[in-house]
Amino acid sequence: MRSLLFAVLAALPLVGAAQASPYAGKTVTIVVGYKPGGGYDAMARLLARHLPKHIPGKPTVIVQNMPGGNSIIAANYLYSSAKPDGMTLGTFNRNLPIAQLTAVQGVKFDMRKFAWIGSAANETTVLTIRDDLPYKSFDELRKAKQPVVIGSTGPGANTYDFPLLLKDLLGVNLKIVSGYSSSADIMLAVERKEVDGRAGSISSLRPFVERKLVRPVVRARSHDVDPTIKDLPTDESLAPNPRAKAIMALRSAPELIARPYVMPPNTPPELLKIMREAFVAAIKDPAALAEANKAKLDLEYTSGDEAMKVLAEVLNQPKDIVEEFSKYVKFGE
Amino acid sequence: MLEALLQGLLAVLQVKAFSFMLLGILVGFWVGLLPGLGGATTLALMLPFVYNMQPVEAFAFLLGMHSVVATTGDITSVLFGVPGEATTAAIILDGYAMTKNGQAGRALGAALTSSLIGALIGAAALALAVPIVRPLVLSFGSPELFMLAVVGLAFIASLSAQGVRGMVRGFIAGGLGLYLAMVGQDPQAGVARFTFDSLYLSQGIDLVPVLVGLFAIPEIIDLVVRGSSIAGTTNPGRIQGALEGVKDVFRNGWLTIRCSLIGTLVGIMPGMGGAVAQWMAYGHATQSARSPEERAGFGNGDVRGVLGPGAACNSKEGGALIPTVAFGVPGSTSMAILLGGFFLLGLVPGPEMLTTHLSVTFSMVWTIVLANVITVVLCFLLLNRLARLTTLPGHFLIPVILVLVFIGSYTTNSSYADLVVTLVFGAVGYLMVRAGYPRAPLVLGLVLGKIAENYLYISVARYDAAWLLRPFVLVLLAVAVGVVLYPFFQLWRARKRARA
Repeated sequence: MRSLLFAVLAALPLVGAAQASPYAGKTVTIVVGYKPGGGYDAMARLLARHLPKHIPGKPTVIVQNMPGGNSIIAANYLYSSAKPDGMTLGTFNRNLPIAQLTAVQGVKFDMRKFAWIGSAANETTVLTIRDDLPYKSFDELRKAKQPVVIGSTGPGANTYDFPLLLKDLLGVNLKIVSGYSSSADIMLAVERKEVDGRAGSISSLRPFVERKLVRPVVRARSHDVDPTIKDLPTDESLAPNPRAKAIMALRSAPELIARPYVMPPNTPPELLKIMREAFVAAIKDPAALAEANKAKLDLEYTSGDEAMKVLAEVLNQPKDIVEEFSKYVKFGE
Repeated sequence: MLEALLQGLLAVLQVKAFSFMLLGILVGFWVGLLPGLGGATTLALMLPFVYNMQPVEAFAFLLGMHSVVATTGDITSVLFGVPGEATTAAIILDGYAMTKNGQAGRALGAALTSSLIGALIGAAALALAVPIVRPLVLSFGSPELFMLAVVGLAFIASLSAQGVRGMVRGFIAGGLGLYLAMVGQDPQAGVARFTFDSLYLSQGIDLVPVLVGLFAIPEIIDLVVRGSSIAGTTNPGRIQGALEGVKDVFRNGWLTIRCSLIGTLVGIMPGMGGAVAQWMAYGHATQSARSPEERAGFGNGDVRGVLGPGAACNSKEGGALIPTVAFGVPGSTSMAILLGGFFLLGLVPGPEMLTTHLSVTFSMVWTIVLANVITVVLCFLLLNRLARLTTLPGHFLIPVILVLVFIGSYTTNSSYADLVVTLVFGAVGYLMVRAGYPRAPLVLGLVLGKIAENYLYISVARYDAAWLLRPFVLVLLAVAVGVVLYPFFQLWRARKRARA
């Protein structure tokens, strides 16, 4: 009897150890809402390499691409089909909160109900214009008599929406020409002087700023702003009225959680906690930072709670602002 | 510059770089053979492995892999009528027809040799373009790109059968292709077109499932109905004629070179996409027919319909590297991913690649050359075994091909809808073949529709009507008119000859 008791007591820590690492020997899948090759995919693959060493039990982490519908398909899958067993992570289009807000066809999720891990990066959108133009600052650009031609991919992308709000709400003399197949194509159009500038994230524009092809003149709000553009005016600070300011803020909000990571709704809190801790550790891991630096990916941590605050900001807008906003911005890319 | 050229070669020949290139070739070989699984996707998957490599090693690995994909993709297209890559569909028309005539060896010989020559010309273009690359690419704006798409669409005239009836059918098929290209969100107003509220269609119709359905399914049905091997009753015994195929390429040397140049030009133009190159080359190859009988032979196994696309598909890679290296603007999807590789290695594409890092640029040229030579030699060694597959009874091959076809199209979006698209276009393709409608114009319309639409919009929005008077636009317009009228000229010339 006593020996049995000892045996049970001796076994207890073992049970405890097994419970402490629900991930031992398991495979965790990161579902990406895009095809291989883009920024979202590159980030997921980077995290897949660095997450395992920070998760107790060192599971294998793999990436699964689920493209289509500008990532709505992946988000729907994560929301209702993926098991909430802690073995599935997802990353998708940062603008999905906008898709939910404007009730885009096919959206079958509520962003607020996902188990939010956080965001691995934030983006700062800037407008850059050709360095050889006479306008040295945003003030000068606002006084431009000739329309300044801005190349863009299409509605729903920050190459379109950001300059559109500058034009319509701040009255900057811009002419937006859309239809370029990628932002790289727009850069070539800038180079051959077909267009005068392009908007986009500073991380994608930095090489062109560094070789003095273009210069940034105005930016959107963001946190952890790159010091080289910190002093640029923000679009919101120049808004003529609260309504315009609200629309600009709504457009830029998703950029604060530019690489969102979630788990399916109802994922057990203890598993979410493990993953949140691993996520922070992986993002702050010097090896991951070094790799991200090489790949020109920005790696910045935003917590799941912060992400929820951004979502609340986006999704709790009064109806009239939403209606006004949908006149300018369409969901896309 | 000569010194850099030599340095580049020596860098590739270092043991480490050379081994990485061989590894890349091995991977690319299989990726090319398997239908659907594309070179671009594989590049993206391989990118993480280059973190710790030196630039020359990394490019030997990535480019080595990438440059053989087109070559081995041709093999699948020729042997089984299944596009090995989205970029190697045009070679099916005559390549697979030759296989059915029992000339698989000759078709492969021609495809491989022309691929090699195409690759060499593309690489030479890359090397020669170094001093003039910036003005060259900068002289092509949106209006010129639109006109280039129009020239591509003009080839529908060459890709249709001759005579009024043939032309009308060709234009109907081309129109259908243009219509299909409109599906999805339009980039100007953000309106969803013809998506029927389906999320799958909201980003447009992907090329791979369409191509696989359009070309592979009708051939599989045909193989079932015939109940024989692919090579039919013609039993060539030991497959011969590979040498004959090599000779064919040299007999049509000038055509091979012209098709290589077409491929390079399409490659240089960012945003044109690799799938266009083979079709334009095929259209050009059909123009070499001297009589209506010869023209009718295209699609039934004319070797010129094999070597033209074969050359263009490989020469476009050298071309596509030009804007990637010089401007950091990728000429194709694969190049966009390769660009990510540049950043990983701490290289900034742009003018510096043509000055400070010139030897790295030349090492790319050499990688393309060496990888293609090695692959083609390797393929020639395996050629007899590969070609013998076509003498196997169809019922052994069909299940394997079907599985590969559906896996291939499923990898596009990992969605069941990919399979539905494949089946729908399988039915469309079968009906088109039965009713005598050409499939090539449909593909050309689908591939060029979006490009033409977007660049026309940009041209008008940016320049109003003034773009119509730009010199290159006028030149390209003349070329397009010439391409449309050429079949009539061919007919007239043949009649005159018959009378004489």
